[in-house]
Formats: sequence, structure tokens, C-alpha cells
Amino acid sequence: MNDDNNVEIEREESVKAGKWLKFRFWLKRFFTNPANIILVVFFVFLAFFIFYPLITLVYDTFAVSSVTETRYGVKMGELTGLWWYRMIASEYNTMYFWKPLGNSMLMSFLASIIAILYGGIVAFFITRTNMKGKSIISMIFVFPYIMPSWTLATFWKNFWQNPDIGSGTGGMVYNLTGLKVPEGMVYGLVPCAIVLGLHYAPFAYILIGGILRNMDANLEEAATILHASRFKIVRRITLPIVLPALMSTFLLVFSSSMSAYAVPQYLGSGRFYVLTTYMKSFLNQGYYGQGYIMGLVMILFGVAILVANQYVTGKRKSFTTVSGKSGQVSYINLGKAKWVVSVILIVLSIFFAVMPLITFALESCCVVAGDYSTLTLQYWISKTPTDAQNGLVGLFFEKQVWRAFGNSLLLSFLCAIIAGSSGVLIGYAVSRRRGTKLAKGVDSLAFLPYLLPSMALGGAFLTMTTIFGIGKSFFILVLVGAIKYLPMASRSGINAMLQLSGEIEEAAVIVGVPWWKRMVRIIFPIQKSTFISGYLLPFTSCMRELSLFVLLVAPSTTLMATLLDEWMLWWPQSANALNLLIIVTVLVINFAVNKLTGASIDKGVGG
Amino acid sequence: MPEIVLKNITKRWGNFVGVDNLSMTIEDRAFITLLGPSGCGKTTTLRMIAGLETPTEGLITIDGVTVFDSDKGINLPPQKRDVGFLFQNYALWPHMTVYKNIAFGLENLKWKKPEIEERVDELCKMLKIEQFKQRYPSELSGGQQQRVAIARTLAPRPKVLFMDEPLSNLDAKLRLEMRTELKRLHVDTDSTFVYVTHDQLEAMTLATKVCLMETGVMQQYDPPLVTYSLPNNLFVADFVGNPTMNFLDAKAERDKNGKLRINMYGIEAEMQTEDVFEMPVKPEGEENAQSDVNVVVGVRPEFLEIGSSGIQAKVHATLPSGMETTVKIAYGEQIFTSVVFGGVDYAVDEQIKVSFRGNGILLFDKFTGKRLCSGALKLAK
Repeated sequence: MNDDNNVEIEREESVKAGKWLKFRFWLKRFFTNPANIILVVFFVFLAFFIFYPLITLVYDTFAVSSVTETRYGVKMGELTGLWWYRMIASEYNTMYFWKPLGNSMLMSFLASIIAILYGGIVAFFITRTNMKGKSIISMIFVFPYIMPSWTLATFWKNFWQNPDIGSGTGGMVYNLTGLKVPEGMVYGLVPCAIVLGLHYAPFAYILIGGILRNMDANLEEAATILHASRFKIVRRITLPIVLPALMSTFLLVFSSSMSAYAVPQYLGSGRFYVLTTYMKSFLNQGYYGQGYIMGLVMILFGVAILVANQYVTGKRKSFTTVSGKSGQVSYINLGKAKWVVSVILIVLSIFFAVMPLITFALESCCVVAGDYSTLTLQYWISKTPTDAQNGLVGLFFEKQVWRAFGNSLLLSFLCAIIAGSSGVLIGYAVSRRRGTKLAKGVDSLAFLPYLLPSMALGGAFLTMTTIFGIGKSFFILVLVGAIKYLPMASRSGINAMLQLSGEIEEAAVIVGVPWWKRMVRIIFPIQKSTFISGYLLPFTSCMRELSLFVLLVAPSTTLMATLLDEWMLWWPQSANALNLLIIVTVLVINFAVNKLTGASIDKGVGG
Repeated sequence: MPEIVLKNITKRWGNFVGVDNLSMTIEDRAFITLLGPSGCGKTTTLRMIAGLETPTEGLITIDGVTVFDSDKGINLPPQKRDVGFLFQNYALWPHMTVYKNIAFGLENLKWKKPEIEERVDELCKMLKIEQFKQRYPSELSGGQQQRVAIARTLAPRPKVLFMDEPLSNLDAKLRLEMRTELKRLHVDTDSTFVYVTHDQLEAMTLATKVCLMETGVMQQYDPPLVTYSLPNNLFVADFVGNPTMNFLDAKAERDKNGKLRINMYGIEAEMQTEDVFEMPVKPEGEENAQSDVNVVVGVRPEFLEIGSSGIQAKVHATLPSGMETTVKIAYGEQIFTSVVFGGVDYAVDEQIKVSFRGNGILLFDKFTGKRLCSGALKLAK
């Protein structure tokens, strides 16, 4: 009997041991696949660095975290619902919260409409009519989108400004004609919406134009054969088919405008506040809790918009373009109007692409700010402090500028390296383990930062700075930059890898090539250009980013864009000089990138 | 009744000639296929007749009405030509249901609602897509989409129907089925069909007449069986038929009795033919060709007989498909193809005897590629 029992127990133990052993074998097998290691590492890392700041952000909306905040009779370190009460329900709620929120939404709505109308019409003319000079228009037209977002805002100010308003200096129109436009044209909702609309019009053009160009021309021809008029074809066939793209463009421009900081900052002039600018001033004054609430609201909006976008583009009517013989498009004949249309579009595009640079150059050379009558180069080349009495020397010899320049370059470089390499690895791992839960998880985690508005993400990381004692260091800038640009890099990484069949790698596995060698010698070289664009997009975007970093910079880590932000209000000549320097740097890098690799910023995720 | 006439149609893009001086008459109620390798101008021709493309020069009339005339500056838009067009990728509107897709053209023609409903129902019944009326195109299979596209094209009862490779996106089995249906449809609808394809089997089986094109130039315009047995030139002979025709370089000359002597790689034979032609001579300046080769003998695989007498050769490979067997025959350096009815299996390198059979052996001019004659080929004893 005893023996029998012993045998039973032994058997049970061996089954248990077998299970444990099986699990160990499974674990070992699981981790011999490099794709799994990458996925696990990125899952843990991304989950931490995305959710942890978000959690601290939420926590800090209930916390008392600065001396300023104790003014309301709460103690440091306490938890309180006061901030939410003040923002949502108190007598100040209109001024503090609803008004900026309403402004943000109204501004974004108008900007989206302008962007879609302007960009969409240009896209239609270029893809569907026999207009002249298409290639030159499409080249210049995307210019404002390549330039930093505040370019048009500062241009607008330089152009319309007059002595009666704002800083009291004259702008280009005033200097040339003596015309004084009303203040509402220079500062406030209308100019903010117009400038944002103009900035995002190229983005709308790229999206809508892409759909129009890829749309099978047979769809329209089929309607022609069936006796539909030109107008009817546009109304019943073309528009409904591009409608999802239009909606999607609208939502993306809306979401980008909601998180725009530079434009309302430069054109709000202390009277017109939106969520981002109000959030910045809350945080600057130490009202962290209330600032973070605004950040949280922006994040909720961002997520809601992207969910809506997913719904719009994923409906049952959505179409798959069968690549047809689309080369044989019959263009609408504009007759003589084709010249008129081209001239108007070329003039408009050139105006918004080149005029900003001219005004920056002019403004930076004025002896008296805004007065073109006497010009000087001292703001560029003076080795002694300039006439502006602010202790700054000429731009080329100003230490602050060169330090900021160096910081910006280094930051962009590091962000690009980290985001780009992560993109390649994520792309590899996700495509190799496609369909598994882990791969899906990493894929969505890597895309998540796209939903978080830059300003709010910056705010979330600001809550982290105090916790690990890293403070406002350079490291936190690199971290937030790498995370914000990861979606671009991981998209191109995944796209590149999905085009590559697994057999190409397996052929190397068979002959015993180790994993790193397969990556470096086989996979990367084949999809070089797509991977490289995963490095370049973060680099160029980082060079012109302001809202992501503006909350996180310290004097020692000043970037070009944040330096401009500091100078803009008080020292117009130096600021304009710096502005020109930044834009030229961005353009040079962008064109160098285009020439070297053929990869273009216009093909990116955008936003 | 709709007869389509093309006169001297030319289409140029800059210096590139898409269609070169094409003239043809498409008879009423014909089923014409435009056949040729890709880029030969067949789709362009079709689109020019439909009005989707404008010819550079020439004249087109449909049913006696001039729809295009470069001299008089006439160019009717497609919607006024009263034609139907079936696109290769169907071009169904993704945002409209099947019903809407079919009804759209009728709405444009200002049909009354009950009439539209009746017509759509009729077509859906005919093409067996009644149950899909409220679906969107993305929810249909390829074959179903194809039927919807056909229904949409047929709805306004066009007198002429143009089809641009409509079956090339379907799988092999469905393609065969649809071929049969198209041929029925042609009879049922009582209209003229013009059909573009690069598949010679499709062209042969469907058409009442095949127009074979190469690089924008019409090569032959005849009923399919004529094109098959009497190809105008080497290109047509090579393009039509599967397995392809055997081509043997040869030297032809008349002996003193007037008999036509052929020498193919040392094989002596006599060509017996009624056709009269001039013996081709090597054009001046032509140096590279073998010294005395002046003709090409074209032999369809079914005319190459494996039997007890003839030329000594050996089996290179046998490809039996059940109903017939393709035998690759090696003679010296040359490989010939023969088709034998039934499943016969030869061993590789088996010694066999080969001879020519029937009256369908062809002789082509080596230099111009033109057909000289057809007849029987008897091996010299």
C-alpha cells in the first residue's frame, strides 16, 4: 500500500516538476527570439514612461505642490479638490477655464475650415484641372508647413502691426502705405485662426491631394459614361469619396490647433487666451494644479478626436483603392482661366513662403524697431551690446544664441537617434510577432504619444521632474522628445518591415547569420530609405518644436525656439534675427535631407 | 443599327505613337476583341472610341453619327455617344450601395423612379445579385462586384458595350464561367461588344472577330479561326495559339520541275501549295543572317505527328495533361513542340520518328515576316 502511495506522490511531483520545466522551456524558447525580447523591453519601458507621467499629472491636479498654491489656505503636500472646484464650478470658472476652452475650440474650428478650404481647393486644382505650373506651386505651397509654426504668426505681426496697438511699432503695411488696420486684424481670434489655417493648409493639401491623386480616375469616367455632368460628378462621386479624408484632415488640424502654443502666444497679445497659453501662465506663476487640469483636458480632447478619426476612416463605406489605370486622368479644361488660376496661386504661395523671410530680415535691421527708414546690421554683427539696451550683442557673437543652437542640434540629434532606432526595433519586432497581444500592445503604446498634445505631454513630464530629482535637466528634454516623436519613427519602421517578407530574414537564419548581423547587413539596407525617414522626421520636427519643450527648459538648456519665445515680446530686432536664423537652419536641414535621401517631410504622419 | 467605323485613327503623346493610323469597321452586333501584348494600344483604341481619350487624328463614327473628326473639329463627349463601358477594376462607387450604383446612370437620364426600380430589379435578377442590393461594394466578392459592374453598364441599354479586360481580376474558374455568361449576354442584349484583352485564349473563344495589334499597328482583323490557321505574319502566328507554333528557319527554292524544295537544318522536304507568291530574296545590306535562309516554316504543334516514319528525333520532355499531351522533341540543337491527343507518356530521350501532317503548314518570309503560303509539307524520301 505504502509503495503505491509513494509512487502516486512521485508521479504527482514529476507532473508538477514537468509543468514547471515546461514553463521554463517555454520561457527559454520565448526569449531566444530577439523579437520577443525587444517587445518585452519596449512594453515595460513605454508603459512606464507614458503612463507614469500621466498618473502623476492626474495626481497633481489634486495636490498642493507649490508655495503659491498655499495662498488658498491649503498646506503643501495636502490633497485637495480645490483646483477642480475653481476650474469647473467656482465663480472664476468662466475666466479660468470655459473662456480659454471656448477660445481654443473656436480658433481650432476656424483654422480647420480655412486649412481645408485653402488646401483642398489647391489640391483639387492641381490634381483635377489642366492648370499651368503645377510642380512649382506644389513645391512652394508646402513651404509654410516645413517652417516652424510661429513663422507665419511673427510674419503676420510684422506685416500688419501699427503704432496704435501692441508694442507700438510699425509693420510693413504701415511703413509702406501708412494704413492702420484695426487691432482685431492683428491680434486675437481672427489672426490666430487665419495663421493656423494657413500653416496647416499644406497639411490638408498633402492629405486631400494624396487621396485625389490615388483615387481611381475610372470612378469618375464611369459616371461620365453614364451621363453625369461635370458638376454632378464632383458633387455625387468625388466629394463623397474624399469625404472621409476631409473629415480626417479636419480632425487632425483641429487637434493640432488645439495644442498650438506659439501662434496664440505671439498673436494673443495678453488679451486672447487659449488653453495652452493659459496653462503656461498658470504654471509660470506656480498654480500647478490648475495648469495640469488644462493639460488633462487637452489630452482628453486629443484622445476623443483620434477616436472620432478612427470611426470616420473605418466605416463600412470606406474604400480600398484598386490601383487602376489612373495615369489616364482627363483634366477639367479651365480654358483661359488656367493662367489666371496659376498666377493667383503662385502669387499666394510665394507671398506666404517668401514674404515672412523678407520681413524678418528687414525687422532685424531696423535701428528703431519697426521703422524701415534707417537700417543697420548691428543686431547681427555687433560685438558690443546693441542699442536695444538689453545687454545682448549681435546675433553672430551672442553666447546665448550659440549655446541654444548647440542645445537644439544636440537635442534633435539625440531624439532622432533614440526615436529612430526604437522605431526600427519596434517595427522589426511588431511585424515578426504580428497578431500576438504583446505586439499589438507595443504597437499601440508606441502610437499613444501621438494622441497627447505636445504642451500637455510637456506638462506631464514636468510633474515627473521633481520626483526623480532630475529637475529640468537636458535628460528630461531628450526623454520627452524621444517619446513624442516615437509614433513617427515606429510608423515608418512598421511600414518598412511589413513590406519585407519574413523569408528574406529566414534565408539568413538558415545559414546561421546571427541576429544583429541580419539587422545590420540585410534588413536595414533593404528598407534603408523608409528607416532613414524614421530618423529624419524626428530630427526636423524637433528642430522646430516649441510647445513640447517650453515648460521643461531651464536657463542652461535653452533651445533656439524657447530663446525666441523669451525675446519675442521685448526685443523685436534680435528676435527677428534669431527667427530668421532658426528658419534658415530648418530649411537648410530639410533640403539637405531631401537631396541626400529623397525622403520628404511631406510624407510623414504630419500633425 | 450601330456600326462603328474608325478611319486613320492616330494617337500621339509627344513623339510617342500610341496608335498608328488604325482603320477598321466593327459590324453591327459583332463581338470584337482587341488583342495584343500590354502597351500595344488596345486600351487606348477602346477609350478613343468611347470618348475618354481624344485621338490626335482621324475619324470615328458610331451608328452613322460622326462622334470624332479631327478635320471638322467634331468631338462628342462620352455621355453623348450612347455607349457602355466596363472597366478592368469595375470602378464601382464605394460610397453607394449596389442599388445606387446601378440606378445612378438612369437617374442622370431622368428616368422615373418606378421605371428605375423595375430596371434595376430586372438586371439584378438576370445577373443573380438580387440579395446584395443594399450592400456596399466593399462587402462583395470579386465575382459579385463584376456582376454589379455589368449591371450598371447595361442599365441604360447601351447599343454598344466596351469592355476593358473585365475578367483579368477574377480567379481562373470564375473567369471561365463569366466568359460563358458574356457570350450569352451578347446574344441576349442584342448589342455590339468591343472587348480588350491580352489573353489570346479569351479573345479566340469569345469573339466573332479578333483585332490583333502590336505597338499601335493593327496586324490582323479576322474571325478567330482564320487568324489561327492563316496568320498574316510571324507576330500573329507566334501570339495566337497555345502551345505556340514551331518556327523552323529554312531555305526555299524552286527546282526545275517547278516544285518547291525546302531545306530545314538539313531536312529535305517538298511544300505542296496552291498559293502563288514570289520567292523572298535577302535585302541588300543584310549581312548577319545565315547565308541561304530565306523563309520560316511555321508548324502548329498539332501538325507535327509522332509516328512510325519520318525524321529521327528524340523526346526531350513529355507534359501529359490528360486530355492531350504536349511532347517536346529534340532534333539536333532545336526543340519542337507537338501535341498528341490523349494521355501518352514517352520516356525522356526515347527515340521517335516525326513527320508533318495536314494542309495547314505555313511559310513566312524570313525578312519581312509576312505569310507566303499555306499547304502540305512532304518529307523527301
